[in-house]
Amino acid sequence: MVWHMLVQMPLLVLGGWLAAAHWPARLAPASIERYNRFGLTGFIVSTLIAAYWMIPATIDRAVVLPGIDAVKIVTLWLCGAALRHAMQRAPALVQLFFFGYSLPMLVWLGLYYSNTDLRLCNAYSLESQFAAGQGLVVLGSAAGALWLRGLWQRHKHEPTIP
Amino acid sequence: MDKSSSPVLDPAAAGAGLLPTFAACLIALALGLGLVYRATDGGRAFTTESLRRSEVARRPVPIPDLQVLDAVGRTQSLRELLARENRAWIVDFVYTRCQSICTSLGTVYQQLQGEIIARGLAGRVGLLTISFDPVNDGPSALQEYALRMRMQPAAWQIVSLARVQDRSLLLDSFGIMVIAAPLGEFEHNAALHIVDRRSRLVGIVDISEPRAALELALAK
Repeated sequence: MVWHMLVQMPLLVLGGWLAAAHWPARLAPASIERYNRFGLTGFIVSTLIAAYWMIPATIDRAVVLPGIDAVKIVTLWLCGAALRHAMQRAPALVQLFFFGYSLPMLVWLGLYYSNTDLRLCNAYSLESQFAAGQGLVVLGSAAGALWLRGLWQRHKHEPTIP
Repeated sequence: MDKSSSPVLDPAAAGAGLLPTFAACLIALALGLGLVYRATDGGRAFTTESLRRSEVARRPVPIPDLQVLDAVGRTQSLRELLARENRAWIVDFVYTRCQSICTSLGTVYQQLQGEIIARGLAGRVGLLTISFDPVNDGPSALQEYALRMRMQPAAWQIVSLARVQDRSLLLDSFGIMVIAAPLGEFEHNAALHIVDRRSRLVGIVDISEPRAALELALAK
């Protein structure tokens, strides 16, 4: 579970994130811009995709069915791309709303995974669940720190939050 | 928008042209939440375990026809064993070397056995333990387990798979997933599986509720 949730899934999202910066203009035409003003749609899409693949039942299904695993890989890639597209155009307040919700949620999920006695995934041992939970707490906190630092860098010279 | 500096919410411009974005957001939300709803049985089941339990309650699953081996070395069809004597069954899955969850299962089954015998219910419901580890659980291992658990054959029997190739068919039909654990042990989900008189899996009850399992079996 540690490999699946802390290495494979974040790397896929990161892959999509990096790819979005280098997409040729014809793949992501400026007309998408209309549908992602202030990054709202991008944030919603990426949060929903990430949340879906954190549900224990879907994790099991992705482990057991290669077709579902393929869908997971593609959608996580899209998740990262959508997130990047959104971050490029989201004012601090919008970022605060979405990250302020999803990052604490991620940390809470990690705390739950690492403390519960109930084995949530039939495909993974209880022990790996503990480790994955602890890793999620670290991942969520690190992502939060990085994001806040980015915000600070962008806005430290402004008198008010835009 | 000027992308070289950070985007600023300009009230005058903000209202204009947000309709496509809002429409896209609504569609994304509807699709996404709809998918989550479907994957979790309407937001009720987030784990495979709870999903399979509600699935079986809605739609009974016929037990596959495979060969099992009992403690005296006889081979027979699982379906025949279940259909004989016209009674319902409570089935569980173990491997006899198990030190963890299978011991709790064993204790629960001993309680159930006591209750079945005390209330004279052996003609209406039986207990069946199936070992999914035929490599290590031959007839002598099964006999030893039966002695250890003080099984009374009228109420409680144990069998093992006759062929190890049938293991995935058996486990898949009941929804059991087995993972290798350290020291040659196995980690697996465990529950009380209710099989009716027609050899169909009709219910899955948590180990913590043997009474409910018994009542359900008696009703089938």
